[in-house]
Amino acid sequence: MLKRLSAISLMFVLTAFLIVGCNGGGEKNGEPANSGKKEYAPTGDEGTITGTIAFEGTAPARKTIPMGLNDANCATIPGEKLTENVIVKDGKLANVFVFIKGGPAGDYSFKTPSEAATLDQKGCRYHPHVFGVQTGQTIKILNSDNTTHNIHPSPKNNKEFNEVQGPGAAPKEKTFMRAETLIPVKCNQHPWMQAYIGVLEHPFFAVSKEDGTYEIEGLPPGDYTVETWHEQYGKKEQKVTVAAKGSVTQDFTYKDTDKAALSPSSLKMQPALVLP
Amino acid sequence: MADEVGSEQLEKRAPDTPEPDPIADRSMSGALLVSSLLLIVVMGWSLFDEVIGQRPWKSYQSDFVDKYSTYLKGIKPQQSEAEKEVKDSPEYQELDRAYQGAVKGAESEVKEINSKIRAIDQKVTDITEPFQNARAWVSAKTYELEVAGSESSKKSIQRSIEERRKEKIDISIHNDAGALEDKELDYNELEALYNGLRDEKAQLTARLIEARKEQTEALTERDNYLQNHLTGLTGPQVEQLINKMDKFDYTIKQIHVAEADLVDRCESCHLGVREPVTLTADNKSIGDPAFVSHPNKDLLQIHPPERFGCSTCHGGNGRGTTSVEKAHGRYKHWLWPLYYKENVEAGCNQCHNRDRVTAGADALNQGKDLFQNAGCTGCHRYEGFDRETDALASASQTITQLEMERQARLREIREATDAADKAETNEAARELLRRANSLEQMISKIDNRIDELEIQSKYLMQDRKKVGPNLKEIRAKLRKDWVPVWLRDPQAFRPGTKMPSFRLDDDEIRAISAFIWQSALDVRVAGQPQGDPSHGKELFKTIGCLACHSVDGRAIDLGDGTIGGDFAANLSRVGEKANYDYIVRWIHNPRRRLAPYSPSLKRDLTPADYSQKGQPFVFDEAHSKSPVDGRELLVHNMTVMPNFRLSEQDARDIATFLTSLKRSEPEYPDASFMDDTSLAAQGEILVKRYGCAGCHEIKGLEDEQRIGTELTPEGSKPIERLDFALLTEPAKMGLDPFTGKDVERGKWYDHKGFFENKLRSPGIYDVGKERTPEERLRMPNIYLEEDEITALTTFLLGSVVTALPETIRYSPEGGQKAVQDGWWVVQKYNCMGCHNVLIGQDSVLMGMAMYQTGDGKEQLPPRLTTEGARVNPDWLLKFLKDPSLNNGGGARPVTAQSLAAHLQGEGGQVEQAAYALASQSGANRNGVRAYLKARMPTFNFSPNELQALVNFFMGASSQRQPYIAERLDPLTSDEQGLARALFTSNAAPCLKCHMTGDPAHDAIATAPNFLLAPERLKPAWTERWLVHPELISPGTSMPSQLFVRDDEKDRWIFNGPTPPAFQSYDKDHATLLVRYMFQITPEEQRRLGTGGSSAPAASPVSVNSGPRADRLPRYASVRAP
Repeated sequence: MLKRLSAISLMFVLTAFLIVGCNGGGEKNGEPANSGKKEYAPTGDEGTITGTIAFEGTAPARKTIPMGLNDANCATIPGEKLTENVIVKDGKLANVFVFIKGGPAGDYSFKTPSEAATLDQKGCRYHPHVFGVQTGQTIKILNSDNTTHNIHPSPKNNKEFNEVQGPGAAPKEKTFMRAETLIPVKCNQHPWMQAYIGVLEHPFFAVSKEDGTYEIEGLPPGDYTVETWHEQYGKKEQKVTVAAKGSVTQDFTYKDTDKAALSPSSLKMQPALVLP
Repeated sequence: MADEVGSEQLEKRAPDTPEPDPIADRSMSGALLVSSLLLIVVMGWSLFDEVIGQRPWKSYQSDFVDKYSTYLKGIKPQQSEAEKEVKDSPEYQELDRAYQGAVKGAESEVKEINSKIRAIDQKVTDITEPFQNARAWVSAKTYELEVAGSESSKKSIQRSIEERRKEKIDISIHNDAGALEDKELDYNELEALYNGLRDEKAQLTARLIEARKEQTEALTERDNYLQNHLTGLTGPQVEQLINKMDKFDYTIKQIHVAEADLVDRCESCHLGVREPVTLTADNKSIGDPAFVSHPNKDLLQIHPPERFGCSTCHGGNGRGTTSVEKAHGRYKHWLWPLYYKENVEAGCNQCHNRDRVTAGADALNQGKDLFQNAGCTGCHRYEGFDRETDALASASQTITQLEMERQARLREIREATDAADKAETNEAARELLRRANSLEQMISKIDNRIDELEIQSKYLMQDRKKVGPNLKEIRAKLRKDWVPVWLRDPQAFRPGTKMPSFRLDDDEIRAISAFIWQSALDVRVAGQPQGDPSHGKELFKTIGCLACHSVDGRAIDLGDGTIGGDFAANLSRVGEKANYDYIVRWIHNPRRRLAPYSPSLKRDLTPADYSQKGQPFVFDEAHSKSPVDGRELLVHNMTVMPNFRLSEQDARDIATFLTSLKRSEPEYPDASFMDDTSLAAQGEILVKRYGCAGCHEIKGLEDEQRIGTELTPEGSKPIERLDFALLTEPAKMGLDPFTGKDVERGKWYDHKGFFENKLRSPGIYDVGKERTPEERLRMPNIYLEEDEITALTTFLLGSVVTALPETIRYSPEGGQKAVQDGWWVVQKYNCMGCHNVLIGQDSVLMGMAMYQTGDGKEQLPPRLTTEGARVNPDWLLKFLKDPSLNNGGGARPVTAQSLAAHLQGEGGQVEQAAYALASQSGANRNGVRAYLKARMPTFNFSPNELQALVNFFMGASSQRQPYIAERLDPLTSDEQGLARALFTSNAAPCLKCHMTGDPAHDAIATAPNFLLAPERLKPAWTERWLVHPELISPGTSMPSQLFVRDDEKDRWIFNGPTPPAFQSYDKDHATLLVRYMFQITPEEQRRLGTGGSSAPAASPVSVNSGPRADRLPRYASVRAP
């Protein structure tokens, strides 16, 4: 009997959810169908989370990628050709994606920014290497190189694509409609070219800079979980409370022994990345 | 006194009542009342029963009409709104304008043609009657002419026909102005006029269609747009359905399939099954599960109920309409009850029993997989499964018969020849000699058949597999004291193992261990030096082992939990049981036996057998004849584990890694009793009783029969023949056999209940019985998960003897037949562990996290859903035979010296070390995708299986055979220059990923060499691949949008800056590249240079630049092969 009751109540919840979902779907503002939440209106009470990502231990030295093996055009482009998977400077870790989960921000929908995020292929590298967008936000993909690239993201919840972009080709505009942290992007022709895109339903994310700092602004006050992600060293989480108009500092420390659940190097799949 | 008397006389007396008349005086009214009341009640009851009681479907129908109408009315506004929205969209409006424009544009012409047609119709009507009268007269006369007897009467009839034909006929016909006009025409003129008018009308009609073509097309386009942009039905469509419900006809809805003599009335209640809107039980206005739509519309489309009925697939009594229970066939007088939801795919098997894989029937397929992989076939015969065993037996029987026939023919020849010598006349002698000659020729025919059967026996032996390992080799393979531990509880040592548990007691375990140990070959394999476990681990993770084997994720640094496939054993504790030297040998080439087995001599051959005939002790595919009697030998281990063409060192590395896998350092109880010869006899009895030889090769028991019952018709067995034993009553009462509590489903005295309980606990029907060990049920415990029990039950329920005609069952021809046959091979070797073969099926590797990153995806084995269209079948056969495409090169030739015979050592023979791991052909290379770390292994398919696989892939991609490669137009030198320029331009990515033969570049390449294309690929597929790779292999590294469509010139052009010379080239660029690829030569490839490598162009160009999977060349130290 209990079983049946719980099944019925589950059904109710699902139906309610469905109805709510349907209502939301009717709006034509490019929002994904499942965000039937109220759009957030700033109250002036918003707070900020800031922090620094420190690194303990010995960071692997960045190595020079012999780009010429794949593509002579890449080799002739001036500029550094160092690996980007771990960038540590003065004990601070760059390219860590920081974002918030749960809390009051989860109760609202947030307007999709009208300006596009840019992913530039320049010097046979992705710029930026790690970045975030909101669901539905346009990603403008440029090719500034005198060679052909292909942009091949491997998302799990969004539609995969793998399109070629020749030298001088027009920018491509792409969007991901579902939240996913993080989508790896690869150029199959230049295997060292890897980027990571965090897609979130809200704008509360940041990427640690060279000095390891990050800042997330405009948060509705409340309790949040801050998650950090690094391609080589994996995830970390901390709980923080953002007071009205408050500013919280939340630092993180990665160690050289940390490991991503599945970092690219856990399986030496791609010889191009196995450097001397 | 008188008064007294008077008073006495005046006494009131009762009148004299006559004797009651038994007929007139007895009242029957009471009885009549009762019986008439009874009659009325019965009549009422029968009326009620007639109208309602026996027709429960009527209330279902009215209920459905109510609910469905309400539902439709509910969705109507919403659908109309949605339709309006689409119709208001600018795209629709434009299409509509185009349509209206087309109508307008053609209006005058259509009008003109229509008026002409009307005029002609009028004229035809005018003359039809007089013309038909005349024609009838002529026809009648012509018949008379044909049947007339005399020449003279023929002539006179002829004459009258001629006259009549000349006679004028009065007609009145409308002229072009529309007025009636009288005319006189003779018969011939009238006929010409009539036919002329009809021709003219046909022409006009054709013109009309032509004139309306544009608007018809525009209309289709507009309506298609609406249909494609609207989910669900349009407003008018919903309206139509509502009307249909208003006029609903309350009758039995019946399907009659005459072919199968089948009547199904299911839709009398299940009215929503085929409705165009999807109705679900969750739907609030529908609510009743009886009214839901069929959940799989596609399935219904391939199996239209008009042709297949309902009960063919679902079971149940299709004719039944009087109660739910009866209609569903869940009562004791109906043999085919409706399948329960979880077993519904059992119904597929009735017609698809010859399919190893039925697309869409996942539970049924899982059941068949389990039946094969869990070793059910070891004890139970089932048509189609383990077919080699039966075919082998029948081949050897046929050979014996043919040999007898041969003897008989020889005798006949002798007799005929003798008789000829003694014949009385020369004619008779010649006749007899002729007969002797014919008989001689017949002998050669018999010999042909014997030879072929011998070859087939060889192939069948090559293809015959056993689920369990070869127990003849356990002395070389296993730790002795581990054997009894394993036998006691296989699940405890290796959870999920296929080895079932036989409910053995200690004595039985001792006897069995002793017997198999003592019966095994007394051969020690050559000792091996230890390898590098970390390299072994890397190989184990990447080379493809995990497609079949699983292992504890921690052992390979991939986190907690078990990782890998469940087709073969979990290897997490190999180190606790196995002998390292044997594992090296096994991994190096699992098919290689310790000794060949001779089915004709019924024993394993020894080196002595070979040396006596002066032959080296060599036995493999090429050396499969017995030195003793010349008959075919079993030269392979009966395992499906393929040969990964590893180098000796790699085999050692992997074995070192595997034998390091231990939960703890093992300590086993003393097992010296295994050498006690007095236990062996008892052990052999037990091994035979439990049918161990069904799954294992055991010395002396090679010809053991399967001990279990045949299961091909198990689902049709009468319920009385399923022995529920003492559980019959609990089953009939619906009580749980263990707890005695009510079972949720209720009574389980049916096939489903029997199978489920038997599979869950195979000894269950012994409960409460007094039995000696020999009498007990022998089926071992197989420890299935609940979903596996459901899958096997589904399969068994569907294992029926069908009464359906062959026309209804699935018996495909041509390519589809090849697919049906090929699945047996594909599943047997677990091709789907690495490859995506069936659309929608993910391989085991694809499911692993390490293959889901960008880098990992490049390392996935190819998808094969279009393989038949991609490759040339001749090439495919060659590739499947030798996936290294090495043509037998690379192996050290086997010399007599290297095989100098086995040495006699302590404790038995020791293999000669030099031959222990002979290097193998194509070692360490993938023929096509040298860049993959996963290796396509060599399966040693027999020619039968090779052909079956090739046909499978061709059939699955709708390719006909034979395939004769089409010859492409040779490139002009201009075109050659163009293609070369494009290939090498920095806008074209081809040479960055595809192998070129330059070792430095190939070390980082991720796609095959173009030099393979001409022999391997088909041009049409290749062109599709260039243009839309994402349609063929989603997730591929090959980028899409390499070409864009040039509609103006109807061609594909390269998407990017092209070399200047392309300005004047107006043909298809994709076609140009395909032609270039199909004519590429090593010289041409060298000219192209490599993808920007600083290394000099490779010296001798080979398709692959040599072994690389073991130790990949790295940037700093690129090594030439």
